[in-house]
Amino acid sequence: MSADTQFHIHHDAPEVVGRRERLGVRLLIVADGAFVFGMIFSYFYLRNLNANGGWLPKGAHYLSAGTGWLVVAPLIIAALSHRMAEKNRDNFNVLSVVTLVSLLAGTYYQWHQLANMPFIVHDTGIFEGSYASMWLLIAGANMFHFLLGSFIALGLVVRARRVQIDPILQTWRLRTAGSWFTWIAISGIACALTTTFVR
Amino acid sequence: MTTLDHPTSTRPIPNPEKSLITKLHMGTGMVVGAIFAFGTYFWLRSGQDMTVAHNVNKVLLISMFMWSLGFLIGIGAFIGPFRWLIGKDLTAEEQLYLAGDGQGVSRYFRYCTDHKVVGIQYLVGVMAMLGVGGTLAMMIRTNLISPGSKFVTPVIYNSLVGLHGITMIVAMIVVATGPFGNFILPIMIGARDMAFPRLNALSWWVLFTAIPVLCSAWFLGGIPTGWTAYAPLSVQAGPGMNAFVATIIIFAVSTAVAGANITATVVTMRAKGMKWNRVPIFVIGATISVALAIPAFPTFMVSMIMTALDRTANTTYFDAQFGGSGWLYAHLFWIMGHPEVYVILLPGVAALMEIVPVFVRKPLFSYNAAIMGFAGIAGLSVLVWAHHMYMSGWLPMLNGPFMITTEMISIPTGLIFLVILGTLWRGKPWMKLPMLGVYAFLWNMLIGGVTGVYLSDVPADNYLHGSMYVTAHFHYTLMGAALTGALAGLAYWFPKMTGRMLHERAGYISFWFVQIGFQVLFLGMFIAGAEGQPRRVADFSAMYKYSNMISTMGAYTIGIGMIVMLWAVIHSWRKGAIAPINPWGAKTLEWTVPFPVPLENFDELPVITSDPYGYGRSK
Repeated sequence: MSADTQFHIHHDAPEVVGRRERLGVRLLIVADGAFVFGMIFSYFYLRNLNANGGWLPKGAHYLSAGTGWLVVAPLIIAALSHRMAEKNRDNFNVLSVVTLVSLLAGTYYQWHQLANMPFIVHDTGIFEGSYASMWLLIAGANMFHFLLGSFIALGLVVRARRVQIDPILQTWRLRTAGSWFTWIAISGIACALTTTFVR
Repeated sequence: MTTLDHPTSTRPIPNPEKSLITKLHMGTGMVVGAIFAFGTYFWLRSGQDMTVAHNVNKVLLISMFMWSLGFLIGIGAFIGPFRWLIGKDLTAEEQLYLAGDGQGVSRYFRYCTDHKVVGIQYLVGVMAMLGVGGTLAMMIRTNLISPGSKFVTPVIYNSLVGLHGITMIVAMIVVATGPFGNFILPIMIGARDMAFPRLNALSWWVLFTAIPVLCSAWFLGGIPTGWTAYAPLSVQAGPGMNAFVATIIIFAVSTAVAGANITATVVTMRAKGMKWNRVPIFVIGATISVALAIPAFPTFMVSMIMTALDRTANTTYFDAQFGGSGWLYAHLFWIMGHPEVYVILLPGVAALMEIVPVFVRKPLFSYNAAIMGFAGIAGLSVLVWAHHMYMSGWLPMLNGPFMITTEMISIPTGLIFLVILGTLWRGKPWMKLPMLGVYAFLWNMLIGGVTGVYLSDVPADNYLHGSMYVTAHFHYTLMGAALTGALAGLAYWFPKMTGRMLHERAGYISFWFVQIGFQVLFLGMFIAGAEGQPRRVADFSAMYKYSNMISTMGAYTIGIGMIVMLWAVIHSWRKGAIAPINPWGAKTLEWTVPFPVPLENFDELPVITSDPYGYGRSK
């Protein structure tokens, strides 16, 4: 993320460094994608296996589909506002704040969901079946995406205010951040689709 | 003290005054890590009923992660990202300081971004891990020297097996890509550094934080599950299992970061003129290996996070009573677990392919076939995982397809054999130490590969599954082939990494002790396994006593050979003969730079005009 200092040492042009950083981020996205794949695979697997009817035991219930999509909405807003900010540098400051605020709001909402999840069977302390367990894992992964996204968005806001987002030189840096914002939105949508339609 | 004392530059040592990075090193990392870990431990346990297993697991796991986080904060790993966050990027002087310019030996104990320093850190770390894992192996074999030996209790034996397995797997995953992938690979492609120098340092230090975590398992009751840590056994295991879970999660982060870094380096930083068909074969093998690891390890991480949640939060991923499944764990584990075999194997084999043309003075036979072999192995490796589950009862109708995909791996593996044999064909090998590894590989991989075909075959696996035969098979591939390749690579690149020649005679003695001991140990184990001796069991029937005694003698022979190798490395590093720039007369770029290798490797970036294996061709 601070490749312009590497630029001084290694004498590489910004667009070369940009290409390199974008590839690096995309490879890390592949790793994160494998993690998300592992979660969704597990969700399908446990749902279809439904061992001892324990996917959703008697008395347990699914969370409403809307709950999942409410988490995804800030991710989509953040990805879109960042894309707009990339193309509309005059309003970059405002749009980067929109990105940050939507991610922070999403972080809070996801934390609120986790803190108040209605799944634990209180007398035994054991989760209500494997659906509830999978929901916890997916929510945790979303939380990780929100936190990392918020970190990047906060950095962009701060740097924009310090006039460090040079409109010509650092397009690549915004595109690199945009790759991550787009990915976490896609990941959120994939998880929400899974929890909405596979029941 | 050692040749590493030499400064890498005659420039004045950068001294960015008032910068925090000048005050942070491994010591501060350990202090902050310990404060984080013990602070978290005592703070959390004060509010918990520590007689409940879930609470103990929760407190221990969080403390382990806090150790890792604290260490990384204490060594300065997050200064770069933090400075980026507040809009004050590191200055060029600070970057130079982080690169360790002119800091001598102390840079090996700092968050140093120089890829050569990271390579040496990996080398020393890997040797330490192999030493620990090897010692555990000696203890295992000592217990198996005769029926009812009772050298250790069955519980401790189980822990020895688990710790030996995971220590060796972690060490073997980085044994070639760690030292050579970091030190040698960027120079080989004509780059000034890795694509992401700070991530490079991060990958090493993250891995480093996993080592004390894994060692803590000893004091927490051990790892009784073997390295596969099958659920629900791993969920029910004692507190030592937390160390396993935390180690794997931390290691998966390190692997992803390192994999992305090496891949991006090779794709974007090759010298001008180095088209893909001019890239040295070691670079190709290492890159395919780490690229394979990028998607493989996160699925393992998913399984470990699930295990952690089952152990701490009462979730039920692997508890069939509440809708979970042990099969799910097996899938997630082996979706990583089988590609991981090739993550280990490919860089070692690629190192050998790099060695053969140099010592036979012939071009690499069919470079394209070698790449097809690597690519074929990598591609098929993600389609074979369920052959580890034939006997689990999971969907027997799929055993056939998985048997076919597994047996198909013989084809690209055969290509690799053909490339090495074709390069050797009618050549006049220069029989130096690295070259011995090539012949050892051909023999060991032949046995490892052929015995693997039996295990991929469903009816044969029905009998052999879970026996010592399996243990012998995968040791032939991982140790006999991959470790042999890595040791040959060490003998080959030692002069470039240390500036000194490896002690040749000690190397020969070590080689023969290790290889003879290896055959004795594992051929004996094949016999015991074929006769039905189960693996991972502390005691055995008297009918297996001769094969086990022979195996243990072989293990001790390997141990002697490895001690000789350790002596050779330490002695040569300190007092070995000074190496010329290009002692082997090789044509790849790393042999064009002097020792100590300059901070940015090349004064002028090279331009490549031919392939690296043009031996014996007229100009």
